[in-house]
Amino acid sequence: MSASWLLRRLALILYTVFIVSVLVFGITQALPADAAVTLLGENATAEALNAIRERLGLGDPIWWQYLRWVGHAATGDFGLSMRTGQPVGPEMLTALGRSLLLAVAAILVMLVIAVPLGMVAAVRQGKLADMATGLISYLGVSFPEFVTATLLAMLLADTLQWLPATGYVSPLEDFGGAVRHLALPVLTASLILVAHVARMVRSETLDVLHSDYIRAARLKGLPERTVLVRHALRNALLPVVTIVALDVGYLLGGIIVIEEIFAIPGIGRQLMVAVTARDLPSIQAGALIMSATYAVANTLADVAYAVLDKRIRYD
Amino acid sequence: MTDLLRRLMRTPQGAIGLLLLAVLAAACLFGPWLAPHDPEKMDFLGRFRPLGAQNWFGADQFGRDVLSRLLVGARSTLPMALAATLLGTVAGAVVGTASAYLGGRWDEAIMRTIDAVMAVPGLLLALLLVSTLGNGAGNAMIAIAVTFAPGMARVTRAVALTVRGQDYVKSATVRGESASWIIFREMLPNVMAPVVIEATIRVSFAVMLFATLSFLGLGAQPPASEWGLMVAEARQYVHQAPWIIIAPSLAIAMTAIAFNLLGDGLRDAMNPRDER
Amino acid sequence: MTAVLSLRNYTLDYLTGSRPLRVLQDITLDIAPGEVLGLVGESGSGKSTLAWAIMRHLPKNARELSGSIRLGDTDLRSLPPRELTRIRGRRIGMVFQDPSTALNPTLTVGRQVMETLVNNRGLGRREAWDLALELLGHVELRDPEALMRRYPHEISGGEKQRILIATAFGCRPELIVFDEPTTALDVITGARILDLFARLRAETGVAALYISHDLALVSRVADRVAVMKKGQLVEEAPAASIFARPAHEETRKLVAAVPRPENRLVHDRPGDRVLLAAEAVSVRYTRRRLFRPPPPPATRAVGFDIKAGEILGIVGESGSGKSSIARALTGLADFSGGIRFDGRPIGSARDMDGAYRRAVQIVFQHPDGSLNPRQTVGEILSRPLKLFGTGQANLSAEIGRLLEQVRLPAAYATRWPHQLSGGEKQRVAIARAFAARPSLVICDEITAPLDVSVQASIIELLLALRAETGAAYLFITHDINLIRQIAHRIAVMRRGELVDLLPIDAVDADHVHPYTRDLMAASPTPVG
Repeated sequence: MSASWLLRRLALILYTVFIVSVLVFGITQALPADAAVTLLGENATAEALNAIRERLGLGDPIWWQYLRWVGHAATGDFGLSMRTGQPVGPEMLTALGRSLLLAVAAILVMLVIAVPLGMVAAVRQGKLADMATGLISYLGVSFPEFVTATLLAMLLADTLQWLPATGYVSPLEDFGGAVRHLALPVLTASLILVAHVARMVRSETLDVLHSDYIRAARLKGLPERTVLVRHALRNALLPVVTIVALDVGYLLGGIIVIEEIFAIPGIGRQLMVAVTARDLPSIQAGALIMSATYAVANTLADVAYAVLDKRIRYD
Repeated sequence: MTDLLRRLMRTPQGAIGLLLLAVLAAACLFGPWLAPHDPEKMDFLGRFRPLGAQNWFGADQFGRDVLSRLLVGARSTLPMALAATLLGTVAGAVVGTASAYLGGRWDEAIMRTIDAVMAVPGLLLALLLVSTLGNGAGNAMIAIAVTFAPGMARVTRAVALTVRGQDYVKSATVRGESASWIIFREMLPNVMAPVVIEATIRVSFAVMLFATLSFLGLGAQPPASEWGLMVAEARQYVHQAPWIIIAPSLAIAMTAIAFNLLGDGLRDAMNPRDER
Repeated sequence: MTAVLSLRNYTLDYLTGSRPLRVLQDITLDIAPGEVLGLVGESGSGKSTLAWAIMRHLPKNARELSGSIRLGDTDLRSLPPRELTRIRGRRIGMVFQDPSTALNPTLTVGRQVMETLVNNRGLGRREAWDLALELLGHVELRDPEALMRRYPHEISGGEKQRILIATAFGCRPELIVFDEPTTALDVITGARILDLFARLRAETGVAALYISHDLALVSRVADRVAVMKKGQLVEEAPAASIFARPAHEETRKLVAAVPRPENRLVHDRPGDRVLLAAEAVSVRYTRRRLFRPPPPPATRAVGFDIKAGEILGIVGESGSGKSSIARALTGLADFSGGIRFDGRPIGSARDMDGAYRRAVQIVFQHPDGSLNPRQTVGEILSRPLKLFGTGQANLSAEIGRLLEQVRLPAAYATRWPHQLSGGEKQRVAIARAFAARPSLVICDEITAPLDVSVQASIIELLLALRAETGAAYLFITHDINLIRQIAHRIAVMRRGELVDLLPIDAVDADHVHPYTRDLMAASPTPVG
């Protein structure tokens, strides 16, 4: 890994954020809502509307409005919420923190389940364990989050009464309560990922198991345990980094639904509230922050892969 | 074509996938005639009637027959998902093929931009688009198509680049064939297969995404019996009648499974290495 | 003296689809202590399966019907997996065809060598490290200490194969199985590996089974040679006599197919008219990019000419730039410098008009990739016919004529590429080139992926077509013996540069470039 490779990654992430900002700004600007009307209500006088349009700079050319928005956004200033009148930036970042807690927990739970599952399926290819994993994968990727969430809540919260159905408790205030409240959302979020990642881990492991160097290791007389642990599984784990990074995007999308269903005040729920209220600054801030988070996660995964994988020379 | 169908039937995934699809197609085509009851007919005495002879899948909060609503609702879910996938695939395939053909700086610029667009999570992009275009099934369909296009462009480009590097394409270039012959006659037939497989698997994502948008209140609008919407409406009655949630949930999952299976079956059936 | 390895009436089937496929039929052979048995056969003859059977590493659908495999006093067939692990590496070693895939890419070389020595010799880590250093030094690897700390992708293919051979010998087995250990390597590297093999086996006296498709090569390294055909052992003879007195028909076929430089197949002389001249042609693939140093060019200022009807051979190792020349001449790669064709200057791919594209045709290396899998043979051949003349009316007759010209039945026009064998596909590709009635055909390693007997028949076909049409050939290959049979002149390339351009009778002269001399010396010429 060289400095020029890192430089190029950095340039790419800047380009990504630029494109995303244009996209988010472009789409939201086309919203049929008139910001002035949203702020003052349907009954406002024409003068008051004009005054507020003047103040918000809605009369300026569109590219100027964009530059002003990006310039402020770069300093963390996303404007005031049309709904609450509070600054959007801090509100969204607090929400992002809660969402990241949920996302990271879901990824950890997923890894603990999916990686061993995929590997066992590959090692015992064609056997019962493999077929069971295949079935779980099929079912897992075929249930959208809102269905999984609804069904799990029905079972664990309503019928069995093991877990609270909705709500959020900060882990800093009440750790036990936080765990209990996060259990259902985390379980839901991780299930779909488990299905996908287990499948990928299985196929990666199979590729490695069928490779020439594994055959060579066996024919050198190494014990099967050494072959599997030192040669096969280690190498099969590498691509998991990339797979997980790609799934973060899917996870972030899913979090919108999951937070909505379990009433967690994360960035996804903020975004839904903003979309319903046509709260322009909040929508823009939420979408940009979410996408940037994904872009950063992907870059981190690339760097991690480059550090872990000795094969590829990045120049 | 019949040959492909026969090979598809020989793979277990393909056979089950086709079977499920046949059921879904029947529901889409003949749903209103197959339905045992009028899906809109309310029956206040029959509210939350459990599964039984009168209502096979039970009745909902207005006493409407769940099975009938499911059968009729197939029409507002499946065609939308198919259309969205088709639209997204065609748009993506055009961009991807063009990018691969142009090559060099253009390819680099197009692909970097597509990577950047894909940094916006799919559901978020669809959400933004629907909120701009306005709620409704048609707009949700367009939003899903736009969301799918970048991914399909990447897949198509990757396949097209592989095909472009093949010696038979070089051979055509060397003998001075026109660009349109090379693209349409030498490359496209070989690019099609993997793209069709990818698109098939994506239909299942489209079904789920469409149902999710409806669930969030942005897709199909009441009183449509779209399956995602049915789940959303039934959530508050979970204590009284779990079946009105479970039935549409399973319908969505079954559709997604069908297309996943079909895609995997197609992959096996179209793989020329397996011919023997 | 008892044999190290002895097979008795060994028969094996693969279960495929409806009925079992006989892969090995009644194989009986012995390898005496210190003996090297060469095993030769074309692809599909079962020689690799025999190696896997001896290593006890058969695919799941293999069914052993009868016979025994004994290593010394041990019956290998009756051993449970745990016992086999103790035999492998310790009593039978194996060296593979492709050294680049036989090493784990994520572990250092040293770790992999040590791991094997610790496991098979029961050494401690310190002793294993010292022994590894000694072994690597002994196979003429420079700075073993540094090498041990590298990852496989950081060292060359030749170095990897030396390491694998050193490790196999270092475990002091009774027998080592060599599965085409030089096929994936360059000619000169391969020759040095063979020298190393000869030295190590003289020093250690280990018995070996040496598998190869190359009869000439095997007859030089082995004491005895066994020839296989369709799963049967058809002949066993001392290496010294197999070329002189081949007994079985298959052996005779293999002997006849081995190219001998002294046996010239082309006797005419080309005319004086220069057909094509390349002037200072340089090919550079990737353009300059942001934050990246520019890559070196694939070829640097290469100049040569081809006379009408001439066969010019271009030889060199992989990566020497010989294929880049083919790509430049056909407009597939951008180049600087110039080409003159029939006196007409051509500065870039844009200058290559219909007349040039008709006159200059190319046949590619891999027959699988060069035919569009979704077009029939007839459709494939019809394109150049439509582009370069012949009216629509007699199209199918023309296709039939073309197929006959390359010795294929006219009925093949309706077949799909996947229904043809490798040799047949290559014939179709040749027919496609000749459909344009070219004056120059570029053959880019076209015989490399084919069996020797198929290779010989393709060469025969090319020479017959040249006699019929008077086309010139630019023949790119790494097979020195083959090119010495057919070329009028040979161009030698190394690292993108043309180091020699010699008439065929001057390749052994004293004034040639040292690299040319190495290359000629590295090509095994048949014994006897």
